[in-house]
Amino acid sequence: MNIRCFQRNFSAALPPLVPLQLPSPMETHLWYVLPDEVKSWGLLNQYSELLSPCEREGVNRMRGDQLKKRALLARALVRTTIARYQTNSQMNPRSLKFRKNLYGKPEVEWRDEDNFSPLPLQFNLSHTSTMIACGVTVNVPIGIDIEEKQRRTKNNLIAFAQRYFSAYEVKVLTTISDPEVQRQEFIKLWTLKEAYVKALGKGFSAVPFKTFTIRFRETTLRNFHPPGSSVSEASDIIVESFDDPTNPTNNWQFTLLEVAGSHYGAICIKKDRTAGANELMKLTVWKTVPFVEDVCVSGTDAVVDLGRIIEQ
Amino acid sequence: MASSTGLSLKFSPLSTSFKQNKVRGICNVNSVSLPSRGMRLGSLRLRVSCAAKPETVDKVCSIVRKQLALPKDSPVTGESKFSALGADSLDTVEIVMGLEEEFGISVEEESAQHILTVQDAADLIEKLVEQKSA
Repeated sequence: MNIRCFQRNFSAALPPLVPLQLPSPMETHLWYVLPDEVKSWGLLNQYSELLSPCEREGVNRMRGDQLKKRALLARALVRTTIARYQTNSQMNPRSLKFRKNLYGKPEVEWRDEDNFSPLPLQFNLSHTSTMIACGVTVNVPIGIDIEEKQRRTKNNLIAFAQRYFSAYEVKVLTTISDPEVQRQEFIKLWTLKEAYVKALGKGFSAVPFKTFTIRFRETTLRNFHPPGSSVSEASDIIVESFDDPTNPTNNWQFTLLEVAGSHYGAICIKKDRTAGANELMKLTVWKTVPFVEDVCVSGTDAVVDLGRIIEQ
Repeated sequence: MASSTGLSLKFSPLSTSFKQNKVRGICNVNSVSLPSRGMRLGSLRLRVSCAAKPETVDKVCSIVRKQLALPKDSPVTGESKFSALGADSLDTVEIVMGLEEEFGISVEEESAQHILTVQDAADLIEKLVEQKSA
């Protein structure tokens, strides 16, 4: 290709991805890319070589360069993220095959003829115009959703909530007097509800937003403290479903974050059967430019846990 | 932004270089979706005989433009896919709400889930409007 004359630092082969151990049960890994940090056209071209022809067609169907870039980065992020966890042999991100489950939820299709072994992982993707995120778990369903903190609805917020949210949620939103706080809480609630539906993986019509409530609940974390110490109060995020008795809602754990100072992110995972009743989801977050730089941002102010307020 | 302008100049060769017209496996004519969504091909035939009125399509286009804040010269037609225009799930839900208000209809989640293009929305609207007045 004659684009090679524009490449400066990149050789034909991409450097290997830094391999990583799979998350443990009840652990989630979150990887995110900031499109504005990916400016090298040579790098974008190399990402595009990782995609299947079908995915590239999908990218080309997007209207305009920004949307094309976003779609490209989303596919590149998913492929490179999953490929990292193959520690035994080098998994070429390009070799991964994807399919959709019965309801349209994307998943990896592991095949016998591939020369790498299947990984017991599940993933979910979400993006905005300024961030693309991919969550990974071992064995348990996961759903994630990110939204820009500054996102505004075109419709009146309360009218929107009345149309789509549960009565309890509308009540909670309506009682917030500060419009900016109300807007922020709306966005947080939206991401939590999206994450739940995506984790369930049965499509949006299977779990209409109005049929479940997500709310904060005070809990007391007694068993994390040795006898004699003070008891912590915490706020849990829980979901209550109105009409699905086959899906006990205490099966799902939520995390609500502020990411990179610019986004709200919600993660919903199914609790592993072996996990203790009060075991908390452990989360590790990386900011990445695949093949260029991975930075673990857990414990920095790039990741703020909004869902857990521990007071003593 | 200088960097994005530079990028847009170079994206054209990027897209033309991927003009692979092989359609195989899961890659349908209209969408990259499951074979079970092959019902889309059926609806392609139906569309010819039951297409929504142009006025309906135009109204949908204008609601979509407004929601996605598209520039005036950005073409939006019946064939336009919401996702290709940059609509995320919140946009789509807002668009559906806008359509409900504009046409006085109520769209169930099952139906909303199958709306991929402007034409899909227009066809559904006319169906619901007809059912309402029946």
